[in-house]
Amino acid sequence: MATAETVPDRNIAVRFEGVSVVRDGVSLLEDITATVPRGSCTAIIGPNGAGKTTLLLALLGEISYRGRILCDNGATAPRIGYVPQRLTFDRGMPLTVDEFLAMGFQKKPLWFGVRADLRRRSQEHLAMVKAAHLSGRQLGALSGGELQRVLLALALSQEPDLLLLDEPSAGVDFQGELIFCELLDHLRCDRGFTQLMVSHDLATVTHHANHVICLNRKVAAEGPPRQTLTPENLTAIFGVHMGLVNSRSMPDNRTACTAPCCQGNQDG
Amino acid sequence: MADLLAPLYALVAQVLPFECMQVRFMQQAMVGLLLLAPMTAVMGILVVNFRMAFFSDAISHSAFAGVALGLLFAVDPDWTMPLFGLLVGLGIMILQRHSRLSSDTVIGVFFSAMVAFGLAIVSRDRSLARDLQRFLYGDILTISDGQVLCLAALLVALMTFQARSYNHLLYIGINPTLAQAHRVRVAVHQYLFAGLLALIVMFSVQAVGVLLVTALLIVPAAAARNLARSAGRMFWWALVISLSSAVVGLLVSAQDWASTATGATIVLVACGWFVLSMVAIALRGRADA
Repeated sequence: MATAETVPDRNIAVRFEGVSVVRDGVSLLEDITATVPRGSCTAIIGPNGAGKTTLLLALLGEISYRGRILCDNGATAPRIGYVPQRLTFDRGMPLTVDEFLAMGFQKKPLWFGVRADLRRRSQEHLAMVKAAHLSGRQLGALSGGELQRVLLALALSQEPDLLLLDEPSAGVDFQGELIFCELLDHLRCDRGFTQLMVSHDLATVTHHANHVICLNRKVAAEGPPRQTLTPENLTAIFGVHMGLVNSRSMPDNRTACTAPCCQGNQDG
Repeated sequence: MADLLAPLYALVAQVLPFECMQVRFMQQAMVGLLLLAPMTAVMGILVVNFRMAFFSDAISHSAFAGVALGLLFAVDPDWTMPLFGLLVGLGIMILQRHSRLSSDTVIGVFFSAMVAFGLAIVSRDRSLARDLQRFLYGDILTISDGQVLCLAALLVALMTFQARSYNHLLYIGINPTLAQAHRVRVAVHQYLFAGLLALIVMFSVQAVGVLLVTALLIVPAAAARNLARSAGRMFWWALVISLSSAVVGLLVSAQDWASTATGATIVLVACGWFVLSMVAIALRGRADA
């Protein structure tokens, strides 16, 4: 398996070079070559079974692949924050949100409680994702949207250079989804990380991403959303004719999205 | 070696001034159980968390083969059994991590192979079959000073490992991919855990027998899970339940009116705790409603 190497170009956060994944004789990804620009919000889109999640898992080193994945990070491996699509875990396990956020950082076993400074830090990160009220709750008792926020707080607390999100809006209602995406845009601008998300939701993508990788086992197209998500490309990857939805339509008669990404590229 | 432990036995006799505790073999058994209980408590929490109950079952059943090998090659089975268990545990972990089979299928295959292998060897010699009964039901009352010292060493090793890795093991139990992304060394933790669990299961086989080992791990952890509301508290509950079940179980089994098998009595006391924990949940549910 290839390991992440340094990219010479400072404007590139991740570069996939000829990445292929074969499992049980079935080809999941074929010769993927694509780029994730530094500081961008890059979306990987494609139909079910296109290999979107597989590409993220290859980047995480969870599955073996042929080819190279290059990460620019300076001297050390990039810090990766990962928000899975759905966290399948044992919901009966007694575990508080505080404990969950501390257990990757705290050496002292949780028998002796969560360290005060870590508790404070978790509280800050929960406040950042507007979930400060969840800190004392049981992890297993959270709703889908609440859990997603806690997972985002966990990813952010790792101070990532690269934030990977697998279907960030799955399990979140539409209103919650919009808030989630706005929140992410604000955070990305503040903290300067690169965001790479997997999505099958074209409205979210055109609204928030500034770089798109269209995937259907192979890379069908890549570039800024307006130029990339043409009817021809969409038909090619989704297999049916899909016109681009009006990406500026807002729920609940709201007139504007407050995310920073929308302020800069109103003309798309 | 015995001199080293004599003051400890005397202390146990003093703290528990029951008539039955004045004999050496009972003191040895009590010390052995007091060393074993914290280990089964903390490992039990993770076994429940990792859903590895079947894994511990497979290890305990490989005790047959371990004993049979010892008897066959005229090596003390008390040593071949833990060693063989360790090999089986690591073997299961390797296959689980590198094969696409589901984990219960992998363990099921190992389980059957171990039991069949043990039975095949034992069936060659009828006199061996009698020795095996000890391992089926367990016999903590015959624990030797050497085994007590072994348990003490294992307790130190295990608690050092747990103090360093408990949080990361919980993390892996929740989601290995998430833990891996958080730079937790998943594979190292899984192998160390499997190895230590195999050793503890084998020592527990000597205490409560093949049939009840998994109960010794699972029942205190399951009760603790019901009673606790955080991972930190769950540890202390499991410890209290495991230790109290061991002490009460041994004392009750030695009473004339009971004269029951020690292992079974310990597990029954732990099951009593579990029933209490279910009552606590029901009461809590009513209070919340």
